[in-house]
Amino acid sequence: MKHPRFIDMSKCIACGTCAEKCPKKVDDPFNENMGKRKAIYVDYAQAVPLKYSINKDECLYFKKGKCRACEKFCPTGAINYEDKEEKVVLQAGAVILSTGFKTFNPSTFPTYQYASFENVVTSLEYERILSATGPYQGHLVRPSDYKEPQKIGWLQCVGSRDINRCDHPYCSSVCCMYAVKEAMISKEHADYDLDAAIFFMDMRTYGKDFEKYYERAKEHGIRFVRARLHTLEEDPETKDIKVRYADEKGEIQVETFDMMVLSVGMETPAELVETAKTLGIGLDTDNFAATGVFTPVETSRKGIYVCGAFSGPKDIPQSVTEASSAAAGAGLLLSSARNTLTKEKHIPEERNIIGERPRIGIFICQCGINIGGIVNVPSVRDYAATLPYVEYATDSLYTCSQDSQETMAKIINEKGLNRVVVAACTPKTHEPLFQETLVDAGLNKYVFEMTNIRNQCSWVHKDSPEMATAKAKDLVRMAAAKVSLMEPLKETELEVDQRALVVGGGIAGMVAAKTLSSQGYQVYLVEQTGSLGGNALLLSKTWRGDDVQSRLSELISSVESDKNIEIYKDTKLTNVEGFVGNFKTTLNDQNVIEHGIAVIATGGKEYIPNEYLYGKDPRVVTHLELDKMFLAGDQRLKDVKNAVFIQCVGSRVPERPYCSRVCCTHSVKSAINLKENNPDTNVYVLYRDIRTYGQREELYKEARNRGVIFIRYSLEERPVVENINGRISVRIKDHILQQGIAIDPDLVVLASGIIPQDNEALAQMFKLSVNEDGFFMEAHAKLRPVDFATEGVFLAGMAHYPKPIEESIAQAQAAVSRAVTLLARKKVMVSGTVAQANPVMCSSCSVCIDICPYSAPSFIKQGPFTGKAEINPALCKGCGLCVASCRSGALNLKGFGTDQIMAMINEI
Amino acid sequence: MLKGLLEHIGIEPGRLNFSWISSAEATKFVDVAQQVAASVKALGPARYLIKKRAEVA
Amino acid sequence: MSDWEPKITTFLCHWCSYGAADLAGVSRLQYPHNFRVIRVPCSGRVSPKFILAAFRHGADGVWVSG
Repeated sequence: MKHPRFIDMSKCIACGTCAEKCPKKVDDPFNENMGKRKAIYVDYAQAVPLKYSINKDECLYFKKGKCRACEKFCPTGAINYEDKEEKVVLQAGAVILSTGFKTFNPSTFPTYQYASFENVVTSLEYERILSATGPYQGHLVRPSDYKEPQKIGWLQCVGSRDINRCDHPYCSSVCCMYAVKEAMISKEHADYDLDAAIFFMDMRTYGKDFEKYYERAKEHGIRFVRARLHTLEEDPETKDIKVRYADEKGEIQVETFDMMVLSVGMETPAELVETAKTLGIGLDTDNFAATGVFTPVETSRKGIYVCGAFSGPKDIPQSVTEASSAAAGAGLLLSSARNTLTKEKHIPEERNIIGERPRIGIFICQCGINIGGIVNVPSVRDYAATLPYVEYATDSLYTCSQDSQETMAKIINEKGLNRVVVAACTPKTHEPLFQETLVDAGLNKYVFEMTNIRNQCSWVHKDSPEMATAKAKDLVRMAAAKVSLMEPLKETELEVDQRALVVGGGIAGMVAAKTLSSQGYQVYLVEQTGSLGGNALLLSKTWRGDDVQSRLSELISSVESDKNIEIYKDTKLTNVEGFVGNFKTTLNDQNVIEHGIAVIATGGKEYIPNEYLYGKDPRVVTHLELDKMFLAGDQRLKDVKNAVFIQCVGSRVPERPYCSRVCCTHSVKSAINLKENNPDTNVYVLYRDIRTYGQREELYKEARNRGVIFIRYSLEERPVVENINGRISVRIKDHILQQGIAIDPDLVVLASGIIPQDNEALAQMFKLSVNEDGFFMEAHAKLRPVDFATEGVFLAGMAHYPKPIEESIAQAQAAVSRAVTLLARKKVMVSGTVAQANPVMCSSCSVCIDICPYSAPSFIKQGPFTGKAEINPALCKGCGLCVASCRSGALNLKGFGTDQIMAMINEI
Repeated sequence: MLKGLLEHIGIEPGRLNFSWISSAEATKFVDVAQQVAASVKALGPARYLIKKRAEVA
Repeated sequence: MSDWEPKITTFLCHWCSYGAADLAGVSRLQYPHNFRVIRVPCSGRVSPKFILAAFRHGADGVWVSG
């Protein structure tokens, strides 16, 4: 069911006149109802598409039958009060649910005092307060009196981890990190010494590079207080919030804050539970879409996929990864139908204008009154006509409208124009439209320049129309000067080799290979050891209880029997040449394979401890070794009287300042297994923060219910493990009891962290980067979690960061999904705006090679210009960094050429 | 990389301004624009074109 | 002197500051009209030559924003 918008989307130009004239102010849900907007609105300033709509429930015309102000003032006649609800039926072969979450509503819980105290806000409200487009324009003030807060407190786990009656049992996964982030941003925002305190139970900064951020926050003076607040009180005069809590020593502390932020968790909205019923997909006990460890984006109903927080609390990178993963699932179902519904567009032949004298056409847009109301458009037009090489200048009410486009194409042909300038709104949204018109008129799309006399002129200089007009003339003159030097550019097509290379034969690599093969692509799978399976070969059970070995052997045999997958065991890469679509990789057996894309899934490995008597006493094992004992059904485990788990062995220490993400859950699961084997075994877990994120929290609760004892230690006071006359003694200081404890275990399990493989050589071959810890770096930590900055190479599994099986699988599928976007096109178009080298001028200094983030420049290997730089247009992103840094003037950026920019500078 | 240019140019530092603004930070853009305009205006017209021409050549 | 208005050659990164400038327009924020914007694909494109040239051609100020 499509809701009516009451706006004709094709006519709305998002000028905002309607909202300006609309007399009805309503609460703005985008700003968590802390600010106001009109009854005719766009959700937020960067909404796509940027088109208005009317809120029927608030609009005066719909409520009282009077007003119609928007209709009267809309310059394009886009208002349509008759718009009706529309039933839309779509034919689809697969469905992806990415419906997300809502935040926990704390208002009915008296503990949090959210509903009654003005200066208690939720974390989402606080995000809006910090935002430049928020209710206070980004000024950090508190709601009660708009004063700058001197002291802000964050209260963690609101609605999560079963803290209160009706809170959820699971951990919401993201709140620790966002609270640290909000505190850090607040510190940056405040030009005074802001006191920021975070009240927490376990600090769960388990994501990639999160632990370092947490450490940095401590250095910035953010206070981390391990305590639960038991009361919040409001000072009736000042509206300050007084909090009372027991500190780590058990002493009662009282502090007063100017405002408190509730770090609210995630939950599935009630209406989504209904939708799930309609769709017939299963939900788990927490109302999240039920998925499996080995099928992380599949719902219980075939053909329906899920991604994001609807299948459990998660952060942005994980959600983005799952989105691609779900797309891979859907793509698999639909691969036979690929390209069956596409239509081809007829494009007229391009007119050759090389050698012609420039004949510029200038088209100036009034944008209704948006430009025309301030800038004197006719005078700009008349001025434009006097500029050198200008053949034709005109203005129109809306240059972007369909009929204006047709007129423009006609004029280009009639007047024989070979360069076009449009002075209107922003090229960011409208450049492609005008370029299409050029192409339709038989011109190359690059003999075009757009200048912005709306967003960057008329709209921002309302008070001085004369100055705005003068500025518009300058801008048009600059654009004309540039366009006269623009040349037609070619977009070259490159064939994409349809074969794929997967490096690494662990779970991530095998899933990637299998998914590629199922989509019809041929895969080379290279594994450095003699067998497939990787780290999973050492695991007994997943945290959800699935038997890893049976699932793993199924996967291995399906990969080994797959005709599309060619497996190279005991093999390493020795050299990689080429670029996206055309890689040539040499293996250590001198075999050369050609492929269009590559997936890097080299995994990680267990840190081998040298602490806590490891290697010196057989009773001290790592948790992978314990898994091996479980797998072998080792009888000794039944007789263990006292077992001690030590967490963060090799992780979260100065030498390796990252969290290995999986160890807490692994130890908790193993602790439960020990208890299942023999309920009389005493099990102790010595930890720093228990990081059983998401629904793994329920496992932590189960362990405590089964009598597993959790004792916290700090980095400064690590446990001491000694061999005293043949028995092992573990000593630790208990933070709650504030005294030393000694345990004599007959089994010590070290939760040793995960370290990366030696990735340096591979990184150099594919021109990838690794972070300080040695893990591969993705193109963007949040938004491109499986891409590399180098095109055509993708990342999956623990080579990226330590992670559990389900996340490795999701990432492997996501990497394939991203790779298929290249493979399916069969050809890549290379943009015309790329750098170009003139080998005659080049001094072979290699600055361009060193500076380019995309590895586009290289030295020519043979021929007369050997040793001079050349740019691979397939890799070049057109940023111009090399051009600016070339000391010989040998480089130029097509479309933003030095002469073209100089021409603009000249005209100012 | 760009910062090293300031000394290279040898003119009042207030005439040359660098900033980093994300596409969402309209208010920051306006704030910086106002600062830049004020700082350049305070310095008066740039009058040493000849000198700079020599420097460039 | 008080009437004098400087001209400031402005280089804006297409992906960052140019977007911010667009958004400033959408939000109808008002600011001085001294800027003449040259859109560049990345602030890294702005070489020292451009800045010198701008001053040589009479710009009173230069603003580079990435």
